[in-house]
Parts: sequence; C-alpha cells; structure tokens
Amino acid sequence: MSALLAILWKDLVSEWRSRDRLVAMGVFALLVVIVLYLAAPPGGGPEARAHVPGLLWVAWSFAGVLGLNRAFASELENEALSVLALAPVDRGFVFLGKALASFVLLLLVQAASALAFALAFDLDLRPVAGRLAGVAALGAAGLCTLGTLFSAIAVRTQYREVMLPLLLLPLLVPVLLGAVRATQALLLEGTLPWPALQLLLVTDGVFAIVSFLCFEVVLDE
Amino acid sequence: MSVLLRAQGLAKRFGAVTALFPLDLELEAGRTLAVLGPNGAGKSTLLRLLAGLARPSTGALEIDAAARSRAERRRAIGLVGHASFLYPMLTTRENLVLAARLHGLDAPGERAERALAEEELLGVADRRAGALSRGLAQRVAIARALLHAPRLVLLDEPWTGLDARAAERLTRRLAALPSAGRALVIVSHDLGRVAGLAARALVLVRGRAGWLAAEALHSEAALAPAYAACVEQLEGAA
Repeated sequence: MSALLAILWKDLVSEWRSRDRLVAMGVFALLVVIVLYLAAPPGGGPEARAHVPGLLWVAWSFAGVLGLNRAFASELENEALSVLALAPVDRGFVFLGKALASFVLLLLVQAASALAFALAFDLDLRPVAGRLAGVAALGAAGLCTLGTLFSAIAVRTQYREVMLPLLLLPLLVPVLLGAVRATQALLLEGTLPWPALQLLLVTDGVFAIVSFLCFEVVLDE
Repeated sequence: MSVLLRAQGLAKRFGAVTALFPLDLELEAGRTLAVLGPNGAGKSTLLRLLAGLARPSTGALEIDAAARSRAERRRAIGLVGHASFLYPMLTTRENLVLAARLHGLDAPGERAERALAEEELLGVADRRAGALSRGLAQRVAIARALLHAPRLVLLDEPWTGLDARAAERLTRRLAALPSAGRALVIVSHDLGRVAGLAARALVLVRGRAGWLAAEALHSEAALAPAYAACVEQLEGAA
C-alpha cells in the first residue's frame, strides 16, 4: 500500500509541475466541445442535446488515451522505470499507483469538459451531477485500468502513440457501451439503467483483476 | 561466506544477435567482481540480467539464496545503471524519499536526509533532478542505490561524470562495502580504480567471457597487460 501511495504521489507531483498530460487532455476535450458546438444546428435544441452523451464519451475516451500514452513515457526518461521494476513490492501495487494517477487526471478533465458541454449545449446537469459523476468515474476506471496495462506494453514499442489506441479501444467496447447507455439514460430521461451499470461494474472488475495480475510480467522486460 | 549470486549458463540473445554467451558465475558476500571489456561487449546486458531487469534467454540465476520471494530478491539488489534512474520533475530529496518508500523503509524522510548528508548533497536537496549536472545526478543515483543497504550492489560505470574528489570518495565507499557483508559487481573501463577494489575480474568481448588471474588485480600496472592479452585472446575466439 505504501508503494501504491508513493507512486500515486510521484505521478501527481510530477504532473502538477510539468502539466504535460493535463494540458494535452484538457485542450483536446475542449476542442471536441468547440468543434461539436460549431457543427450543431444553430440554437442547439433537443436534437443536438441527444448526441451529448455519446460526444461526452468521445471526448473523455480520446482524452484518456492521450493521457495514458504519456503515463509511461515519463518513466522512460533517465530509465526511471527501472526504479519501479526494482522495487521489492508486488508489482500489482505499482500498477494500481499508476492507474490511480491516470484516473485522478481523467476525472479532472471529465469534470471540466462536462461543464463546457453543459454551457455549450445549454444543459442543466445539476439534478444529475452526482449520478453522472459516478458513471463518469466507472467509465474512467475501466479506461484507466486496462489503459495502464497497455500503456506499459506499448511504451516499449516503436510506434507507441499508435499502438496504445489500437490495442486498447477494441477491448474498451463493453466499458464504452455501458458508459454511453448509462449517460444517455441519465441526461435524457433522468434514470440510471441497472444493466448498463452492471456491465460497467463487471468489466471494471475484470479489467482491474487481469491488469493487476499481468503487470508482474509486463514490467519484467 | 554465503553465496549472494550464482549464475549457471546465463546467456542473452536479441534475435539473431548473441549479447552474452553462456556464463557461469558465483559471487560470495564480502567479495568484489570487476567486469571489464570494450564497448558493446555485453557488460551492461550482464548487469541488467543480474539485476533482474532482463530475462536470460537460457541459463539459471540465483540471487541471495536466503531470499524467499521475488520481492526479497529485489530488496537485496542495489543498482547504479548507465542512466540515473531519477525522475526529472522531482527534487533530489523527493527522489530519495520515493526510493525509500518503494523499499518500505521506516522514516523515509530521515533516511533520505541521512543519505543526502553522507553524499554531501544537502546543497542540491531541493533542486529538481532534471536540473542536475551529470556528476551530481550520478552522486544522487549512487545515494539512491545504496539507500536501502542492499546486499548485492551492481554498478555500471559508477565513476562517470564525477569530479576527482567525488570519485575518490566513491572509491573509498565502495572499498568499505564488502567488509559490511555486501558483494559488489563493478562494470568499468577505469582499470586503475577497479585494480584496487576487486578480487576477481571478468573480461567480456562480444559476449564471450574470460577470467583474469587474481594477481593481475594487485595494481593497474599488472592489470593493464593482463586485460589487453585477455581481450586479444577473446577477440581471436570470436
């Protein structure tokens, strides 16, 4: 647990000082909002608002991939990844520390971009804010657990920027399916469908367990 | 004396290229082994294999037979690599505190402070590692590697970038480590420094290994011709 917290602290302090992931993720999510705002019919209306749940997840998932691409790139500088590989701890906790840091950053971007979407498309998110935050967090958890594992694999490949989305996005389909359906029902009908939540919870759990167990091998070489 | 490191038939291939041919190696606590050889000989590959950062293609490696788990074996190792392994956005002190926490040491802040004092690095404790000179970064890297008092210390060109005073202090420190029950593996081109430190020397040339007689390590004057002869012989074999 101490190693997990140490890695989380290290990643967040490094990010606070460099802001290289947060700025890239935030700017990307904001650009999506701007482009969609300009592409929507003038005056917005229910037609444009019907697309918001899917568009939110387009922005969040690609911003997440952008951040995850940098999650291990910073470990390559000075070969600092060796410090983690040599640490006498269960490498699953190294994985959890890295995944949690990415999760925190993605939550920040999700909060800021949800606000931008609400302003651009004249949405009142206040009645569903708590539940929307929960769905966003569940989707982010799935993205960050599997994304951290694949980021660690992709970082040592020649085309890591391309490799991560190629590996990750096809496997993220169940998470995105559950997250988009839950967000859609929440924003359009004010309800939270249990099957969508179930899908999110199960895939999050499976991704977390598989990634935790596989990280020992991934970090080896 | 307990054996800290035992390798049998340890070899490493990268595709069709053999970086290290099968090698047998044994190192007891309290001993220092020098690994010498020209560039591209496989010295750093050997060190990465011993540290557990790379998997051998064939052969077996045993680190600290008393260790019961992978984590315990990793705890036994302190590695100074070719790179500094430092996080550039963290300060010198923060890098050491992080290493202490990762090794589960008590009072990580105090341990880091003590290591900074020992290495005379308190003046740069709050400077970001990315802003340190090569020599200072190397001193921090050495402090980080020795922070958890590892039993097996692996060093890749440890004197690189150090000024004369720091290099001399490091040599004295390394000379004292075996008496504390540690074993050292030093990869270096600096024959003069390793001559006074090591009891055994392994020479690598294009992945092939040869051993130097113990007498060759008594002085640089004795080591230089013995090393040159061994390199020539191995080059002929390759």
